[in-house]
Amino acid sequence: MADDDFEDELILSELSDAELVEQMHDDLYDGLRDEIIEGTHILLERGWAADKVLAEALVEGMRIVGIDFRDGILFVPEVLLAANAMKGGMEILRPLLAETGAKPVGKMVIGTVKGDIHDIGKNLVCMMMEGAGFEVIDLGINNAVEDYLGALEEHKPDILGMSALLTTTMPYMKVVIDALVEKGMREDYIVLVGGAPLNEEFGKAVGADAYCRDAATAARTGASLLAERRAA
Amino acid sequence: MSDQQARRRAGGGRSGKRASRQASQVKALPFIERRIPYYEILDPAGLELIEHNADTVLEEIGIDFRDDPEALTLLKQAGADVQGERVRFPRGMCREIIRKHAPAEFVQHARNPERSVTIGGRRTVLVPAYGSPFVRDLDRGRRYATIEDFRNFVKLAYLSPGIHHSGGTVCEPVDLPVNKRHFDMVYSHIRYSDKPFMGSVTHASRAQDTVDMAKLVFGDAFVDNNTVCTSLINANSPLTYDETMLGALKVYARHQQATVISPFILAGAMSPVTVAGTCTQILAEAMAGMAFAQLVRPGAPVVFGTFASAVSMQSGAPTFGGPEPSMVLYVCAALARRLGVPFRSGGGLCASKVADAQAAYEAANTLQTAALAGVNFMLHTAGWLEGGLVMSYEKFVMDADQANMLGILLGGVDLSVNGQGLEAFREVGPGKHFLGAAHTQANFESAFYRSPLADNNSFEQWQEDGALDCEQRANRLWKHLLETCQDPDIDPGLDEALQDFMTRRKAAFPDRDY
Repeated sequence: MADDDFEDELILSELSDAELVEQMHDDLYDGLRDEIIEGTHILLERGWAADKVLAEALVEGMRIVGIDFRDGILFVPEVLLAANAMKGGMEILRPLLAETGAKPVGKMVIGTVKGDIHDIGKNLVCMMMEGAGFEVIDLGINNAVEDYLGALEEHKPDILGMSALLTTTMPYMKVVIDALVEKGMREDYIVLVGGAPLNEEFGKAVGADAYCRDAATAARTGASLLAERRAA
Repeated sequence: MSDQQARRRAGGGRSGKRASRQASQVKALPFIERRIPYYEILDPAGLELIEHNADTVLEEIGIDFRDDPEALTLLKQAGADVQGERVRFPRGMCREIIRKHAPAEFVQHARNPERSVTIGGRRTVLVPAYGSPFVRDLDRGRRYATIEDFRNFVKLAYLSPGIHHSGGTVCEPVDLPVNKRHFDMVYSHIRYSDKPFMGSVTHASRAQDTVDMAKLVFGDAFVDNNTVCTSLINANSPLTYDETMLGALKVYARHQQATVISPFILAGAMSPVTVAGTCTQILAEAMAGMAFAQLVRPGAPVVFGTFASAVSMQSGAPTFGGPEPSMVLYVCAALARRLGVPFRSGGGLCASKVADAQAAYEAANTLQTAALAGVNFMLHTAGWLEGGLVMSYEKFVMDADQANMLGILLGGVDLSVNGQGLEAFREVGPGKHFLGAAHTQANFESAFYRSPLADNNSFEQWQEDGALDCEQRANRLWKHLLETCQDPDIDPGLDEALQDFMTRRKAAFPDRDY
């Protein structure tokens, strides 16, 4: 048993760049946070720019995780571990990215709407967004218009996310979006909405940019809408 | 009356027989009296272990009672350890309060006294599905529900002999403002049904409006000392009660109105992934909520609720009709009996998007389990589709058909002289058939349940009849029911008083969407 462990053990620093990146994709897949942190440090020490580490090692690794989650190969608890490992790498890269002025993947402010304290779905979205490299500011549950406005002001995110589980709280999303429109701020943000009682039609009716049916869709949609916006 | 006239009435010829054979032959009973044993899957030692663990959770981890200082005060006075909003209960405290005060069974009065239900003991009350934002039917597909849909489902429940209760949020009328839709919902239950109903829980003031409307129907004094409303209070699992639910709970309990205290569990996400762990959490949460109701008003009727689904570890989606939630249901029913309170669970639960084979077998799995386990108040019996997001017209009548059958199954075996059927053997003897026997002639009409939906005809006849599948036949049935529906009578004075109350209350504050 001990011998097997020894045989399996890899010395990350002895791998070539290409081998290490490939190993990091596997480590992300297996949700190994410590190994991802170590790999991130090694690549940086070898002179890799932070945005190159992010794109080639982390985001690419999570892209593979996303595919296998969609295909039913990876299960939710495993994706959470992968996202947590990704987050470990991101914590090292984020200050460096800011220093170098490299474009961060994106920033999101998210919370459940006023009256709604059901946050499991929202927490999954946070995890998936972080897994995709986004910086997520989680406002938690039961957020009034002022909470959203204050956070938008303070954090200047690219994306605002709102979620609700209840049919009686979901209309509050329109209250928030109407307030953004009124203040002339609506166009400053991509607004994503989600939650079990919503649908496409509801998302359109309240004036959101998109309704996201699940956490993986939220991460995909957030990334693609932000890319479109930056390209425009 | 001459003999001749009497004889004519008894027979009735072709027209009489056509009418009686095409009408539902199910005798509408106010509720089911169970005459078969409970099905249990854990021995007493297993149940004691779960009880012990639930007490450990209550004592060691505790339950959050959020944003309700009054609740915290009441709990502290009763002996709980309150740190911030976290409430920890000394071992046995909740059980003792519940056993001392909570009734083992209670009567929920209906507008029509013949429809009043007894909830608890060996009775089962079947109740429509609750809470879906969407409705679906074959013609118009999936869409947001309106108040018209709401009225339709109230009417379908009224017309279903095997459904004993009008339910509550039979669908969410999203075409009405959030802060006023409860008026039209409660009114619809009172006006378009005479079966008992459930009240609004989305705000304490809406619970109060429900009680005030019930007082117009039953009288002030009666309502304060009798249960006329049974309402759904969900724990915000894991281990949390929120301000909204606590607010509604307090209003109902103070007025002697029943609450169904229901942990809402998507196991794996909101509880541990194991059956025993989930049962432990359900018992802990339910006991904390039921004990709290007794602190608000000792003797206020409570029902131990259980809603358990397993989350797909692959996608995170809730699943239904699987074996693990069935085991949770069996165990929790036994735990409720040991605690001495009525039990709510079950229903025609499924994850299917349409009323197809998946919908039918998942629903049947849960309906059967709930019936055998000994559910007293079976919310979600009819209409449930897509994890509760959708109320389906076709599925409603399919489930109502199942409900009729459950009533017969739970009624048990007739062991009377007629039931034993020895006369039939004496008459027929070996090698012949029973179809013409006197015993058969005397019993055939009610001997076997006849489904209004199942097609048992020959292939050729089925083809001649249009080769319809079950969903298409269900589509015809619900439309026929609604087209021929005759609303129950209501005293015009009462109707006016209810309308007047709603008009005044609706004018008292602006429409709001939260």
